[in-house]
Amino acid sequence: MQRKIAIVGYAQTHHEADPPNTREGMVFEVAKGALDKAGITREAIDTVINVSSDYQDGRTISNLFLVMAEGAYLKDESKVEMDGAFGVLYAMMRILSGTHDTAMVVGVTQGSIFSPHQISFYTLDPTFDRQIGLLNDVAAAAIQARMYKNKYDVSDEQIAMVSVKNLVNATSNPYAHRRIPKPTVKKVLNSKLYYDPIRELNISPISDGACALILASEEKAKEITDAPVWVKGVGNCQDSYLRDRNLLKLESLETAAKKAYKMAGLKDPPTELDVAEVTERFSHEELMIYEALGLCKEGKGKILIETGVTERKGQTPVNPSGGALGADPVLATGLVRIVEAAKQIRGEAGKYQIQGVRQALAHGQTGLCAQSNIVFILGGER
Amino acid sequence: MMRRNVAIIGCGQTKHGRLRNVNTAEMISEAAWNAMEDAKVTPDEVDAIVVGNMQGFGGIYDTELWAGELFGAPKPFLRITTGGTTGGSVAHGGYYSVASGLHDVVLAVAWEKHSDSKERGATTGLAHVAMANMFHDLQQGASLKWLVSLVTGAAIGVSAFQASCYMYRSGCKVEHLDMVAAKDRRNAAKNEYAHLRWPNCTPEDIAKTEWVSYPLRFGHVCPASDGASAVVFAEEKIAKKKAERPAWIKSVAAYADEPNWLGENSQGTAITDLSEQLECIISAKEAYRRAGIKDPRKEIDMAEIYQPFPHQELMFSERLDLFDDGKAWIALEEGQTEIDGSMPLDPSGGVISTNAIGSSAMQRVLECALQIMGKAGKHQVPKDVKNAVAHGWGGSVNFTTVAVLGDSPRR
Amino acid sequence: MEKREVIKVTGLPIVAGFRWSVGKMMEKFIKSFADKKIIAAKCPKCGYTYVPPRSRCGKCYTKIEEKNLVELSGKGTLTGYTTAYVELDGKGIFLDLDNPKVIGAIKLDDSDSTIFMPLGEIDQKNVKEGIKVKVVWKEETKGEIADILYFKPAR
Repeated sequence: MQRKIAIVGYAQTHHEADPPNTREGMVFEVAKGALDKAGITREAIDTVINVSSDYQDGRTISNLFLVMAEGAYLKDESKVEMDGAFGVLYAMMRILSGTHDTAMVVGVTQGSIFSPHQISFYTLDPTFDRQIGLLNDVAAAAIQARMYKNKYDVSDEQIAMVSVKNLVNATSNPYAHRRIPKPTVKKVLNSKLYYDPIRELNISPISDGACALILASEEKAKEITDAPVWVKGVGNCQDSYLRDRNLLKLESLETAAKKAYKMAGLKDPPTELDVAEVTERFSHEELMIYEALGLCKEGKGKILIETGVTERKGQTPVNPSGGALGADPVLATGLVRIVEAAKQIRGEAGKYQIQGVRQALAHGQTGLCAQSNIVFILGGER
Repeated sequence: MMRRNVAIIGCGQTKHGRLRNVNTAEMISEAAWNAMEDAKVTPDEVDAIVVGNMQGFGGIYDTELWAGELFGAPKPFLRITTGGTTGGSVAHGGYYSVASGLHDVVLAVAWEKHSDSKERGATTGLAHVAMANMFHDLQQGASLKWLVSLVTGAAIGVSAFQASCYMYRSGCKVEHLDMVAAKDRRNAAKNEYAHLRWPNCTPEDIAKTEWVSYPLRFGHVCPASDGASAVVFAEEKIAKKKAERPAWIKSVAAYADEPNWLGENSQGTAITDLSEQLECIISAKEAYRRAGIKDPRKEIDMAEIYQPFPHQELMFSERLDLFDDGKAWIALEEGQTEIDGSMPLDPSGGVISTNAIGSSAMQRVLECALQIMGKAGKHQVPKDVKNAVAHGWGGSVNFTTVAVLGDSPRR
Repeated sequence: MEKREVIKVTGLPIVAGFRWSVGKMMEKFIKSFADKKIIAAKCPKCGYTYVPPRSRCGKCYTKIEEKNLVELSGKGTLTGYTTAYVELDGKGIFLDLDNPKVIGAIKLDDSDSTIFMPLGEIDQKNVKEGIKVKVVWKEETKGEIADILYFKPAR
């Protein structure tokens, strides 16, 4: 990369179902929080990237009234309308170009305003699939889950174990939305059936939340903090549309991960990654994500979850924060994954801190069955 | 640090108008392919794609998820949407993608398909913009009828107010608005991709049209067009190989002001003059500084200004420091802003002739590139174009995108 | 300190309606339903066959013309499925279905795309990957998407 870039500050809201707070209030909270964490003021920020969605917010030009709250008044700013992690990519591009030295990325979605599941319906081909009216993100994921189960002989119990792992992890995360006291495989398998085999506790909750982080070039990062989290690599890719892609594999995630690994100089990700924060909107997705990230071979995701490799105490902990199953503030979710990965590197993850984290992976996605994916590799000083 | 030089090596558009014989995916794909062919690249040579449109207008969410495979997917995609400035933001996104060093060739495509909405024109989308962003007014006692009349044709209500502010500030008259509209309709007649084309339009023709909302007449209003436009960005070495005369991006800037119109969530604002447009003044200053332009009046040869309404061509040309504050109408009277004038403004006809909202600000960048590359056909300005400025505007009259393009890379 | 009151605004008094133009290829596809035909677009270069048809191949980027349209038999293989116990009401709420519906992912013979269609005349326990299915049309077909009722198991 032309310049080294680091995360130097961050903040997130406590993600909830429908808190009595406005979008502006949430955005201000995290923008101010990130600045305070970094110990700098608004004046030090060169550019601001907002991440929000017109459809989710029910208002066109969703960043219009957030300009003030995110501190972008009289600043060079723009907006990315995809998962928050893509917003971080754009902010990175702005700094890499040399035009800016610091950037703030703020993502917000109040899922309670309009259901992301209904909106997923609007991404379908309007001339055909949308007219037939059968599909949405849950239905499509269910078809994928069924195909995956049949091909690799994966049981509902194994898939439920992903939910249990993440929901248990979420209980240690004060920011998480879904806090179920004693999650068990039985509770997951008894939750409401939506589209077979996907049940309530296999689906991420609809959360209201916001998240912000601050990026800085090497020189500025060193001025701002003693604990910069370096962005070592990034890769993203979008798959073909539902009708013409391979649903058994998250191919675009595999492509994105390979790019990120190459940029970061990783030769053997499973051993070189100390933790991963991924966006799993459905529990079976996490197993497919293990495979696409190269943590195991195709179809072997079930072995990782059964043998505890991805538990907090395992070799490669995945989603110690609880992941998307713990809190899914839609467009802010990918940003939260990056922040959680950064926290692990800085040793600031409190009760769910993994020991000795030097390198972490963060993943964000957008689209039906994880059609568009982005992977970040973050590293600490040592 | 060594800054990467980026140029536009190809441009592509669809004809703009009412396109009922193609679906949205086909429309976007046509512009994308026209741009790639003009740039002499295949999708395999394109590293990433940046897209954008205003989702409320077409009724499809994240269209590129469905349409992407027609022009490049699987590939890295980035969606950037900022309202009226979307096209400009997408172009800036394309620029930054290559300038960052992460990609070498990037396709940027922006579009809008207004005809897919059941209501005429852009009413569905505009009502969406207006209502959803101004529901606070309903809480504060405004009636629905008042809100609808104020903001449906949303831009008209706000722009009429802005035009009044501008006329008061500058001393220009309605006749000058007629002159600008007529000039742009004549220019559009030379542009095969434009929507409203009126070859021998005169200010008198415009003055005969009915009032919509003083000081704006029907003849001053932009159409609601369907259309897509795309440009291909490339890093220096590839640009020099692929294009005879690449259009170099010397700088981009996009500063935002507080929501001018009614303030954040209708809580009020200190801005009383909607024609001040501080964000445009700052963006222009920064863009010129980043581009190394010291005297825009001497160094900028032409401008493509985002002007869905005619007063904006005059107003923004002043905020872009091409004329003194309040003096653009004098230059207009002297013919300086005609295609063959000393400071041609909107030789393509501009937004007042063609407005597919998502695409419009991209077209300003595209048109400047065409002029520099010498590919603007019948609406090519006769003078040598060394530097051009492309402008975009939108939001609650608080967003802007400014790009300075030139015939040589910034050194 | 006064208590902050939250004023909830639910819904605005406008409805956004859309009618999308489908393009020439799609128009031909849908109109052919009147003759109980299913048409696909076969790429002249790599042979990837799209259903519904489209004007450019996404695999090799070759243009596909009207002369490359082929007629399919209407028979295919079930490559995936799910049983729906809910459906969206258009406003984001999942409503419980009185009778679960089976949604099938189907690959029609001689084509490469997957289409997602309802399955009918089949017991849930008999739904398996790999079974052969065929299209069931309405008695009277008019050349609209509703002409296809569902897919049922084929012998």
